[in-house]
Amino acid sequence: MARRYDSRTTIFSPEGRLYQVEYAMEAISHAGTALGILADDGIVLAAEKKVTSKLLEQSASAEKVYVLNDTMACAVAGITADANTLITYARQQAQQYLYTYSEEIPAELLVQRMCDLKQGYTQYGGLRPFGVSFLYAGWDSHFGFQLYHSDPSGNYSGWKATCIGANSSNAQSILKQDYKETGITLANAKSLAVKVLAKTMDSTTLGSDKLEFATVSKGNDGKIAFHLFSAEEIDQLLKDENVAQFQEEDS
Amino acid sequence: MSIMQYNGGCLVGMKGKNCVAIASDRRFGVQALGLSTNFQRMFSVSNRLYYGLAGLGTDVQTLSEKFRMSVNMYKLKEERDIAPTTFASLVSSTLYERRFGPYFSEPVIVGLEKDDTPFICATDLIGCINFAKDFVVTGTSSEQLYGMCEALWEPDLEPEDLFETISQAMLNAVDRDALSGWGAVVHVITPTQVITRTLKGRMD
Repeated sequence: MARRYDSRTTIFSPEGRLYQVEYAMEAISHAGTALGILADDGIVLAAEKKVTSKLLEQSASAEKVYVLNDTMACAVAGITADANTLITYARQQAQQYLYTYSEEIPAELLVQRMCDLKQGYTQYGGLRPFGVSFLYAGWDSHFGFQLYHSDPSGNYSGWKATCIGANSSNAQSILKQDYKETGITLANAKSLAVKVLAKTMDSTTLGSDKLEFATVSKGNDGKIAFHLFSAEEIDQLLKDENVAQFQEEDS
Repeated sequence: MSIMQYNGGCLVGMKGKNCVAIASDRRFGVQALGLSTNFQRMFSVSNRLYYGLAGLGTDVQTLSEKFRMSVNMYKLKEERDIAPTTFASLVSSTLYERRFGPYFSEPVIVGLEKDDTPFICATDLIGCINFAKDFVVTGTSSEQLYGMCEALWEPDLEPEDLFETISQAMLNAVDRDALSGWGAVVHVITPTQVITRTLKGRMD
């Protein structure tokens, strides 16, 4: 049924759908979960790494969570190679804005730049869309801490807490129940993130080798700090939440 | 009327024992009219690498913004600080890109390499690098600075002594140049810290 209208991004199907965009989102639903939670004093980004092997050089670059500039970071779900291209683009856009205005780019504006690029690939060029969804965690002087989600169609929206990738609908419903509207601190957000991941991750055991965990917050010096948790810090966090590797569901 | 003498200003960089220092004056003017006594000519790339730009004021500002952009991208992609020699090459290629319509600015770069070895260099307005062993000078009072540095500099000066030397070189050189002076700032960079001092000089 869809076959005749799905091989080119630049045409609609008779039902008014863009199949290539939908197929891109399908690719993302198989990728490692990534979630973001907005707190009053910062944002938590947590993600499950899909590519794990003892032979993998762990100390090398991140796979899920990336820094974009001094005030923003993002988590990705989808085709990592596509994500790398888009992240380089985002970083260049952020620096270009800084060069022009001598101010850091507002969070929503950077999201819009990315989305405008992604949308272009759904309307012209004949190239396939990017198979990546992003969660952007950032701060600006206009609206404080913000969390955004964008998808391959180039659509975006702001969230208080959201999830992308595998089991995202599951995680989303847990977040909906457990997220407190007001008075949520970064500490609350961190523990909520761990709880949600523990319940929805594919693997039965949660360990620091399978997780990427980061926070965006304001340091004592007033500057925005991005903190990517080390393996030890993740282990400590898991222990604190009683979901560490050797304390599974049997307790 | 030379474009490089339109706004005025000068810089000097010196090597010491496990330390480097960079100093600049603070004058900004339009030919004979002095306008500002706190024009920023020196910028930091990291706490171990500083550079300064002399020459046309607008190019000083634009180049510093361009370098900030390039170094930010470098840091994000390479996930490490840029090395002094690498930064010098970045400066050189950025200037040479405009070989036939150059930026009217001549930089001085000072810093400590990864193993804490002192590094200084300067380039001309189209990017020719001068890797000096002792000191580098640039600006409207460069000739005066050459004379002062040649007389005062000696190898292996400790940070405190390097500060005295570079300060005297700067203060006395700018007093013989109408377009430089109106205050001075000195940064002394050691493996453990950067000490910044503002000098009290003749304000005429």
